[in-house]
Amino acid sequence: MLDIAFAKPSLPESGALVLPLAEEDLGGLLLAEWDRLLGGHVARGLAAAEFKGRKGQTVSLYAPGGGLSRLLLVGLGKREALDAAGAEAAGGAAVAALGKEGVASIDARALGSGAAAADLALGAALRSWRFDRYRTKEKPEDKPRLTGIKILCDDPAAARAGWPARKAVAEGVFLTRELVSEPANILSPPEFADRLRKLEKLGVEVEVLGQKDLEKLGFGSMLCVSQGSAQPPRMVVMRWNGTDQKKRDSQPIAFIGKGVTFDTGGISIKPAGGMEDMKWDMAGAGVVSGLMAALAGRRAKADVVGIVGLVENMPSGTATRPGDVVTSYSGQTIEVINTDAEGRLVLADVLAYCKKRFDPAFMIDLATLTGAIIVALGNEHAGLFSNDDGLARRIEEAGRAVGEHAWRMPMGEAYDRQIRSDIADMKNVGGGRAGGSITAAQFIARFVDGCPWAHLDIAGVAWSGKDGPTVPKGATAWGVRLLDRLVADHHEGRIALPAPEPAVTEAAAVSGAGSASAALLSEGTPASEPLAPSPDAPAAPAAAPAPETAAAVPTSPARRPSTRRPRR
Amino acid sequence: MLPRFRLTADPRGRHPIAVPVRPGQPPPEGCRAAADAAGFDPAAGTALRLDGVLRRPVWLVGAPDGLEAAGARAAAALLEEDAPDAPPGPAARRPARHRRAMLDARGLLPAEVAALAMGAGMRAHPLPFLGARPPPALHRLDLLVDDPDAAAPALRRTEALLRATGLARDLAAEPANRLTPAEFARRLTALERPGLSVTIHGRAWLERRGYGGLLAVGRGSAHPPALAVLRWAGAGGAPVAFVGKGITFDTGGISIKPAAGMEAMKGDMAGAAACAGAVLALALRGSPCAAVAVLAIAENATGAESYRPGDVLRTASGLTVEVVDTDAEGRLVLADALHHAGTLAPRAVIDLATLTGAIVRALGHQRAGLFGNDAVLRDALMAAGDAVGEPLWPMPIGAAHRSDLASDIADLRHCLPPPDPNRGGTGWAGKFLPDAAHAAAFLRDFVPPGTPWAHLDIAGMDVREEGVESGPYPLPPGPSGYGVRLLDRLVEGRFE
Repeated sequence: MLDIAFAKPSLPESGALVLPLAEEDLGGLLLAEWDRLLGGHVARGLAAAEFKGRKGQTVSLYAPGGGLSRLLLVGLGKREALDAAGAEAAGGAAVAALGKEGVASIDARALGSGAAAADLALGAALRSWRFDRYRTKEKPEDKPRLTGIKILCDDPAAARAGWPARKAVAEGVFLTRELVSEPANILSPPEFADRLRKLEKLGVEVEVLGQKDLEKLGFGSMLCVSQGSAQPPRMVVMRWNGTDQKKRDSQPIAFIGKGVTFDTGGISIKPAGGMEDMKWDMAGAGVVSGLMAALAGRRAKADVVGIVGLVENMPSGTATRPGDVVTSYSGQTIEVINTDAEGRLVLADVLAYCKKRFDPAFMIDLATLTGAIIVALGNEHAGLFSNDDGLARRIEEAGRAVGEHAWRMPMGEAYDRQIRSDIADMKNVGGGRAGGSITAAQFIARFVDGCPWAHLDIAGVAWSGKDGPTVPKGATAWGVRLLDRLVADHHEGRIALPAPEPAVTEAAAVSGAGSASAALLSEGTPASEPLAPSPDAPAAPAAAPAPETAAAVPTSPARRPSTRRPRR
Repeated sequence: MLPRFRLTADPRGRHPIAVPVRPGQPPPEGCRAAADAAGFDPAAGTALRLDGVLRRPVWLVGAPDGLEAAGARAAAALLEEDAPDAPPGPAARRPARHRRAMLDARGLLPAEVAALAMGAGMRAHPLPFLGARPPPALHRLDLLVDDPDAAAPALRRTEALLRATGLARDLAAEPANRLTPAEFARRLTALERPGLSVTIHGRAWLERRGYGGLLAVGRGSAHPPALAVLRWAGAGGAPVAFVGKGITFDTGGISIKPAAGMEAMKGDMAGAAACAGAVLALALRGSPCAAVAVLAIAENATGAESYRPGDVLRTASGLTVEVVDTDAEGRLVLADALHHAGTLAPRAVIDLATLTGAIVRALGHQRAGLFGNDAVLRDALMAAGDAVGEPLWPMPIGAAHRSDLASDIADLRHCLPPPDPNRGGTGWAGKFLPDAAHAAAFLRDFVPPGTPWAHLDIAGMDVREEGVESGPYPLPPGPSGYGVRLLDRLVEGRFE
């Protein structure tokens, strides 16, 4: 990570100086001060380059005097629109432009408070991340040389106070990005689990279950995904309890991640083109891992469980065949129609297990689950499915605060009917290509057993093809910051958890008498589309709201057909 | 319009009678023993025929899911019923034994009677049949009520909606050799009788005004394109505009579609048909709200004059568009129609189109996609959709969806090229294009600034198919008329 220091403003001896400026700052005191220190270069250069301070605008003035190698002006846009995201973006833009410099200072005074200086630092750190461990021939002059930045602000103590928590979040993001970027021959399920054991150093309890443990538990659904691979499966159960309550008295919150370290599709094999991307089919698990690192790293006062199901989906003589029927941990049977719909099979067992063992206040799962969600929403929004309106709303709000947007998608009985099976309790796909991400969510919903639950389909947002302000090209770690913010805003330092708000079930198709709208109105509005906030959907009247529950889970079924058990 | 409804308090007659039975309600007098013996359960939503208990066939129709669904169930039962001495064979060939039936609506409020009639009317509406022996149809449906006068206004309203929805369904069901753009225009002109003012702008007018999008899409066809404007004056004031995609047949053009399933493309004008139906509904019930439907009508055919991928078109608004895929033609004609609607100073613009396969992948056949720029309009549409059983779901237009449409040669392009399997580098995620959002981002550029606008992508909702569950109750395979009642309810709830 970049070395970050905060200090009172002074003329740097050498290196680069970055000056973020809002549009209103042109002709202001800050600029005048630097102009004086640098002998008038700034004003001349600014005028020549026609720098207006617009958002994202950057101008470099080389050898501006005062021993500096470069003065970089970064536009912040209008002061009134400036927020944490703007400060972070400025830090990121600075780092992106400063690649060849060894040492740099950033004058954060235009941003205002001490917290903003810390945000700037976070943006810089996030943008500076690089995954180059497999490069053996890179010349030193091609590598970025920036090792540290000094952030100049009026109140360095305040900024320093705000930095450690942000730094911990950055470390969590970096862990996720690293896990997601690792190719599948390196990051197998056992290797992934081994890396997670290192979180014990931060105080996270880490429990690793292997093939035999999962067989004993009856994880027929998850194991049918891994059975074709030479790599054994792993389930890693992590717990961070930063509250002062004992574990047995505390009701944790839970995050679950899909960890398919490589997805060939199995017997329902994927086409060759683009299959290399499937090394990041474990991004959901990566995010949960990074989140645990972030929460533990900043000693969050929350009781959090993180569980990841790690498998590799391969075609082979022992692989699951389309048409196979497996029995899940919950006892429900699943007809596997398409072995490439494997993420939901892993989540089914992990979610049911999590509910049974921990009875959490809520479960949020993340998964790079369907191509259909990319067709639906593109690459700026993750799909959000939930049986609890309050939880969904809080996730959307947290996302808006950190710039990771979730968009609520519908669920309902009509979609659920599409996964009915003729010979088992359900199929793992349904409805052809129509509504693919929704039927996937309906499948998963059958395994949450009434727990407040949200599912984030991150297939479109987990990997980026181009650099962003704080996210370089590649693994985005979408979700770490959102969930960290969710925990910080609602689940730290207090006993009372928000009350469950079961989603209103789909209104009877046609009431004939003008029913009140049961529409669930989501508000995820990207910056390009300012919308007035809409009123919340009215709670259902007298009719008891029945949350979408999984079918009743028998605790000890009399006799269950065993799944095929390859030798390990 | 079939079936014709008649309100009556006189229960006598020999024609079959269908009785809706809600869960918890006992079956009618005289039927109880037989119903129990047959194990009839209203909660199961089935229909049971009882002969011999009354001096006419009786259908007990379970109504666990509302009266409109029960009405549809009753009509289905009445239409399917076999004459006892009918020859074996497909239903379409059997003679219609009963063309008249009765629905027992006693004990129901006027709104409930209307709901029952709506469901029955929707189910019993005879779609166009061009063979020698049309399937049996219900010609007359008597509604047995306690007070005919009290129920009359609500029933009249329902009949207006059924006529309007029927118009939309009939238009969409017509094959493209019959419903050419000219014929479509002619049928719209006939709507002057109920009180609409209809203007059809032909090719010469479109060329004079530079409606390059509509002209280009329609150029490959032997049938020239047209822009139809249907106006309902209401009580005056700024109109609500409904803009519809009216592609009478979509081959895809030069970017031709695969053969499989192409016959469904006769229905690619369902959006325009729904807009026409909506304005008709407002006229038939004398709505005070002024409305205008702007329909872009063309046939997207392959021909020597077809427009080509790579062409740059100048649309009516002045924006130039680079064509990438001639099968993304709906948004091109809508661009011109939206511009035209803007010249009429509307209060709001709502466009309907069977636009993208992407929306079906996103939302399936249960909800239409809703994009727009105005939260209040969006909420009003959501509420209207839920109230009439034509549900929607809001979808985002992100910044990237618009920036993806940047063009090297024109103001913008209308879609992204489909991923090329021969060219590497797009990865797995790059194979999936959010085309519905791209289309919405494209259309947004043609809406006059400051005008509340909503875009409904109804590609998954316009047709009922065998084996595909869609909508609150089953309808026979064919166009569903999605959108007519939604827009009518929107106007009633928001603009009156």
